[in-house]
Formats: sequence, structure tokens, C-alpha cells
Amino acid sequence: MNHPVREGEMKQVTLRPATATTPAPGPGLAARLRRPRVLAVLVVSVVALLLPQLLAGSDVAVYVTLLLSAIVVTGLSMLMGYAGQVSLGHAAFYLIGAYTAALSATHDIPTWLGLAAAPLTAAVIAALIGIPLLKLRGHQLAFATLAMQLILLNIVGQNEWAGGDIGLQGVPRLTVAGYEFASTSSYAYLALGALALVVLVARNVIASRPGRGLRALATSEVAAESAGVPVVAYKLAVFSLSAGFAGLAGGIYAFYTGYVAPGSFPVLLSFEFVVMAVIGGLGTIWGALVGAAAITLLLQQLNELGTAEGMPGYAPAVMSYAVYGVLLILVVLYLPRGLVPSAQGWWERRRAAKDGGGG
Amino acid sequence: MTAADPLLRIEDVSRAFGGVYAVRDVSLSVAEGETRAVIGPNGAGKSTLFNMISGHLTADHGTVHYTPATDGGVGLPQRIDRFSAHRRARLGIAIVFQGARLFHRMTALENVMVGAHARTRHGFLSAALRLPGHHREEAAITADALAALERVGLKDWAHRSADVLPLGQQRALQVARALCARPRLLLLDEPASGLRAGEREALAQLIESLRQEGLTMMLIEHDVAFVTRLADRITVLDLGREIAEGTPREIRDNEAVLAAYLGQESAA
Repeated sequence: MNHPVREGEMKQVTLRPATATTPAPGPGLAARLRRPRVLAVLVVSVVALLLPQLLAGSDVAVYVTLLLSAIVVTGLSMLMGYAGQVSLGHAAFYLIGAYTAALSATHDIPTWLGLAAAPLTAAVIAALIGIPLLKLRGHQLAFATLAMQLILLNIVGQNEWAGGDIGLQGVPRLTVAGYEFASTSSYAYLALGALALVVLVARNVIASRPGRGLRALATSEVAAESAGVPVVAYKLAVFSLSAGFAGLAGGIYAFYTGYVAPGSFPVLLSFEFVVMAVIGGLGTIWGALVGAAAITLLLQQLNELGTAEGMPGYAPAVMSYAVYGVLLILVVLYLPRGLVPSAQGWWERRRAAKDGGGG
Repeated sequence: MTAADPLLRIEDVSRAFGGVYAVRDVSLSVAEGETRAVIGPNGAGKSTLFNMISGHLTADHGTVHYTPATDGGVGLPQRIDRFSAHRRARLGIAIVFQGARLFHRMTALENVMVGAHARTRHGFLSAALRLPGHHREEAAITADALAALERVGLKDWAHRSADVLPLGQQRALQVARALCARPRLLLLDEPASGLRAGEREALAQLIESLRQEGLTMMLIEHDVAFVTRLADRITVLDLGREIAEGTPREIRDNEAVLAAYLGQESAA
């Protein structure tokens, strides 16, 4: 038969995630570029591991929130960056994960099993609702996910088994193999471990065959399809994966706070995740982490301001909406690719200018 | 496959857009190993025909049969006109689009590796868990993609971003991507348009060598000299209908063909 491509010559090639402005890196430059990356991962990991020890008590709580958001946003960023779909109801999957964990734990199911069920339930529900939605064009998914969240909030708010508006109280602490996660810093480490897992899964997927398919369909669904990429199935898979990540974060949240209530999963939270993903830079893991960190810290400051004496009760919510709006406009206008890709582009241009006098 | 079964058999396919036929009642058969050119004036329906073969458009009427390979050799002709594009890709149909449809923010090598999707299988779970089979498959895809890049003369560009490639190289990259799928039927939609003389010659030589290896190809092209040199047979479309089919020599002397082209020139 005619095999135009010859076998043999098994060269081990290092795959770097490509960026738009890579200035002609030979293997030598590739090797050099890798080093700052490895260094960055090391530094961030060490700092992330030390933070629960270094921070004051209330700051550890903020840190847990930051980590849980980063888990959700890593998945959402993949969905938005590769499948080109916006989920305006991603907090719904966070809710599903939290209620799955809380319901199972309050029904005497082992807590570790409840935590495992949280991402699975969210992923399965996403797959089911995604089947009809992802075949449609445009922004149906955005509206449908928003609607789904509103419906879910109603369901859990009005049903006795879900605790109604008050929610489910007295969720027991997570216990894995006899170890009880009791302190805030233990949940920080749990969330950190979950985030590491999520980042590893995302990275492995992006840098491999299905990831190439996803990145290809982000440019051209027609061309990807003709190369054999099952576009609809891949979109469904990344939607389901991102929902699973959100469900995992929700499960941890339920054990961490000890109660779940509809009020903890407002539509504003979904917008918050979207803003984090966009500001950090869609389709990049670093972007998700930076976006989640930046917005969480900013919200923390706003919250302190909003709850200061003399401020009306609605101040925190109003200020968050205003800040999301302003930030989104600024980022879309001045850094349309988001913080991380823009910073990478700047760094590479500078490096190119240094190396080749402007090659 | 009996000797009578062609690789591709199209019967009476039609496709209309807003009441206007882009392709009307076209039938043709392409034998295994044949290089078939499809020519015709602008708006003749050439690209629409290709898209109905690759699966990006479905025909309003008519059938498309294709004889896929099986493990042992070749199978029976299958009706594929309702199959999705990615399913047809898995059966061995690859297409190089008219425009440069590269995947952005990926290296040239990664672009070509996407082409292997049609014949590889490791999915999300295998990738996420980094199963051993995943590594073997990745290594094989990488080797194949590098070989495909070398074949089209782009080996030195492998690790550069595809976005910075000049037009000629972008086209070559698309060809490499299609080759990485190891197709049985390669559709080339005006692969030479916009290329410089040297690039056209390199492309012609590549097509010629693929033809000698026995790859079945269909080629849309305006340049008659290019087509006459490369094609075994030529199908001529005009206003969506097939007006002639034959060897390059037969087509050159065909009056209906001359009329269609002259008519277009006087109108232009």
C-alpha cells in the first residue's frame, strides 16, 4: 500500500505549548525556554505549600477560596479557550459537587466516597445536558447553563431533602483513611492537592492527542473535523471535564464549610469564574491560576471595603459587579488575550530583541 | 474489492444553496491509484463537490460510495454520504483546503500531528492518566509527523509556530497534515493557487511522487498545464453540471469545454 509517511526515525521530540509569537526557537532555545518554566513551577509549588503555615488564620480561609476557584477556573478556561463555549452557570457544577458531598455525608455514606462522587456527578450531569446543547451553534450553552443554575437553585431551595433555603447543616468533616481534615490549613492542603491533580490532568490532556484536537478545533472546527477530530464529542468531553473539576472543588467546599445552602452559589459566582478565566487568559493553565488569584485577592479587598462601617448592605455585591465590568472592559480593550499570554508575548518579544537584534 | 469497484463512486449528487444549484446530478468514479483533476470556471461547483466527498456538506440527493481498506486488504464499497466529516477522515479521506487553514498557536509539527487523529485512538482518559500505550502512540505520531514535514520540505520549521509560516509553506504544511493521516484518497482544492513558480514546481513534484506510490488523488486546479501534467483523467464542471470527462488529451479537444471557458472569458 501507499504509505506516504515513512516509518522509522523515532526521534524523541519535546512538545512545547506553542505561543503565537514564538521567535524561531531551535532545539537550543527550546531547552533554554524550558528552564524558566520548570523554575516557575518549583517556586510556585514551594510558596503554595508554605503559605498555610505563614498566613494568619483568616487569610488561610481566603487562600482556600482562592485554591477552590483556581480548580474551577482551570476547567472553565479549557472549555472557553478550546471548545469556544462560555458557561455562565459553572457555579451550578460547583453546587452539584457540594450538594453531592453534603447529601451523601449527611446520609452516613463515608465522606471520602462523597468527595469522590462530587466530580463524577457533576461530570455526568454536564455530559447529559451537553449532548443536546453542544450540537447547537452560537451561545446556547451560555444561556442554557445560566438557566440550569437558576433552576437548580430553585430546586435545592424549595425541597426538603436538600434543606431548602437554609441548606444542609452539619456536614461532617472529611475523613480519609482515619485522618480527619479538621483545621482550615488541612483544607488548604487538600485543596492544593486537588488543584495539583486538576492541573496535571489538564496539562496531560492539552499536551497530547486529544489536546491537539481541542487546540485545532479552537482555530477551525471544519479543518479539525477533516483531520478526524470528532468535534462535538471533544467539546462534550471538555465540558464534562470542566464540570468535573468544578464538582471536585464543590465537594471540598462542602466539607470545608460544614454546610451548603443555595445562597453560597449565586449567579454572581458563575460570572466571577468567567471573569477569572478571561482575565488570566483563556486556554492556559497559568492564566487560570493567575486569574483566580488576582480576582480572589481583589474581592477580598473589596469585601473589606464594602463591609466597612457606614457602607450599605448591598455594597459588596454592587462593587463586585462594578469591578467585574470595569476589569472585563479593560482587559478586553488592552490585553485581549489575558494577563498570562500577554506577559508571555511581551517576554518573548523582549527576548527576541535581545537575541537577534529584532529577528 | 473486485476490479470493478472504484475507490470512489459518486452518483447523481446535487446540492443547492438558496434554490440555486451549486452541483447538479454529477456522477463520477475514481479508480484506485488514479489522479483525477476537476476543472471548470469559477462557480462551477468544484469545491462544493469536494466538500460533499469530504463530508463538510451533505448532498441534497445522490449517493457517494467509497471502498475503505480493511485489515486484510480492501473491503466492500460503503455508502458514506451521510457520514460525518471526521468519520470519513477515519476511513482514509483527507482534504487540503483552498485557503490556508492552519491551527493557530501550535507549532508546525503539532499541526501535522493533528492529521494523525484519523488513524489513532488514544483519548482523554489515556492522555490524562499517561497510560503506557499513550506514550507509544505519541512517539509514533511524532515520528510520522516529522517524516511528513520532511517530505514537504518543512523539517526545519517543525518547532516554529505555524502562524509565522509564509503562504507557500502554509500550503505545504496542510499537505503534510493530510499525509500524516496516511490517506487512501487525498483531495487537493487548488493547492497551487497563490504559490510562486518554485513552490508550484515543488508541489507538482510532490504530487507526482505520491501518484507514483499509488495514492489516489483528486485535484482542483485552474492551471491547465499543471493539470495536464499530473492528472490521469479530468472531469470538467460548468454551472454545477458535468460537461465532460476524459484523458487530458480528450478534454483539450472537447468543444463543450472550450465553449464553457471561452464563454467565461468573453463574459469577464
